[in-house]
Amino acid sequence: MRQSLEVLLRELAPQVLGTLARQYGDLDSCEDATQEALLAALTQWPVQGVPSQPRGWLLTVARRSLVDYWRRETARRRREERAGEPQPFEVPGADEQPADADDTLTLLFLCCRPTLTPAAQIALTLRAVGGLTTKEIAGAFFVSEATMAKRISRAKQSIGHSFERPKDLAAGLGAVLSVLYLIFNEGYTATSGPSLHRVDLSTEAIRITRLLHRLMPAEGEVAGLLALMLLTDARRPARTDSDGSLIPLEDQDRSLWDQVAIQEGIALLTETLGRFPVGQYQIQAAVAAVHDEAPTAAATDWRQILALYTTLEHVAPGPMVTLSRAVALANVHGPRAGLALLDTLNAEDNTTHRLDAVRAHLLELAGETDQARHHYLRAARTTASLPEQHYLHLRASRLRPRVDAQKPLRNRYGGGVIIKKDTNPPTEE
Amino acid sequence: MKYMIMMFGGIGETLRDRSPEWINDMQKLLMGLDAELRESGELVDSRKLMDPAASKTVRYLASKAVPTDGPFAEVKESLAGYWIVEATEERALEIAATVVDYIEFPMEVRQIMDQPPEL
Repeated sequence: MRQSLEVLLRELAPQVLGTLARQYGDLDSCEDATQEALLAALTQWPVQGVPSQPRGWLLTVARRSLVDYWRRETARRRREERAGEPQPFEVPGADEQPADADDTLTLLFLCCRPTLTPAAQIALTLRAVGGLTTKEIAGAFFVSEATMAKRISRAKQSIGHSFERPKDLAAGLGAVLSVLYLIFNEGYTATSGPSLHRVDLSTEAIRITRLLHRLMPAEGEVAGLLALMLLTDARRPARTDSDGSLIPLEDQDRSLWDQVAIQEGIALLTETLGRFPVGQYQIQAAVAAVHDEAPTAAATDWRQILALYTTLEHVAPGPMVTLSRAVALANVHGPRAGLALLDTLNAEDNTTHRLDAVRAHLLELAGETDQARHHYLRAARTTASLPEQHYLHLRASRLRPRVDAQKPLRNRYGGGVIIKKDTNPPTEE
Repeated sequence: MKYMIMMFGGIGETLRDRSPEWINDMQKLLMGLDAELRESGELVDSRKLMDPAASKTVRYLASKAVPTDGPFAEVKESLAGYWIVEATEERALEIAATVVDYIEFPMEVRQIMDQPPEL
């Protein structure tokens, strides 16, 4: 009961906030009011039952609290004898039923406005659309609650009082999708830290994307992104071992993959492909589907993956795509073919470690052990991901020359005066 | 009291000679320690920094701040990661010793200035 109530409230929260923000413009106070209404619902509905118009109920309570807030503010201003006139506000009329879906959408587009930094877009989206608390978001990104509160409030200020959907919906949608994908990846790659009290960002991203897909069913890329997330997330149980180390795709226990998610992703993709102009998320989802459908790593249909990456390179070219194509090429035509393609790439700042890691892997397959080790170590030095660094060090150590590998390091870094602790006296002789 | 336990860049060099098992066990030790300190409430923060070879130093050259390549200290003396713990000095030293016993590379333990003024 409580769980279904929370699901309902999280669904309604962005609608209520969206409606209020559209009517009154002030995102900050509208958000506080929405939170108060949600809190009231959480305490009252389990006792009194869910009202027949839950959204209307929440809107009414939120408006009441907004009006209270404005009254207090006005009174405070008067007390302070400030010259500024109180903000005029429209008295809420009869509770009309606006297109709630539109308001959620507008809210989402607003949070992902390209003028905001990605960090701000993500925080705001999780707060306003995802309905997460500031504390939860802070925990998810390992920053203090105060830091996250500042980030969110600055983002809100820069949005100001305008509550209009961007004119260029297509460009806006691109930004929304990339924010959602960032949130998903944050949850998917951040394997460090305690997972116990961490809100699951991947699940959250999937939830919001699902909502977006329901609101914009005619957008192929929205469906594509949702499919990509489902097909990737399905492998999560197999992706790390018990102590959190990364397990590469080819070594994963495929029986752990979530078949329900895979089937849903594939169904979405089948429905989408061919009906809409093909986009990058759909193609990436198709690649994920090929991996997911292979019963063993050896049975992977690399020819199909190669064809998909070749298409992706036309649709959305970039060094990361070429890297992926090189891996596919190596699996179809041998490591040398892949290495030759890598040679055409210029390493840019954010791709250096991936380029090195892929090159190392292909060199290892080609039997060039020393070169492979060199590139694994270089990749380890330039990655910003701790689990990945660990994995790369391991790969390198497997290829190390066997001479005096275990020479004792003890006392190589000695020096210093030993502290004699009186709590730990030297043993008497 | 808060202490910062510091690990240095030289640890990266020592990794090169180690076996996969050794590296794996070190990773387990570090992650386990993190989890333990988090669980006990002693951990304030813990971060690992990227390899110092890739770092930049902003220097004052010819009357102007100029970014330059490389860390300020030698790579092996450059900060590679830290734990901040809320603990006594004795406990902080004990935590550092757990790691040093394994990696055989020194770590520094230093108190953080967070005490109220006594004047």
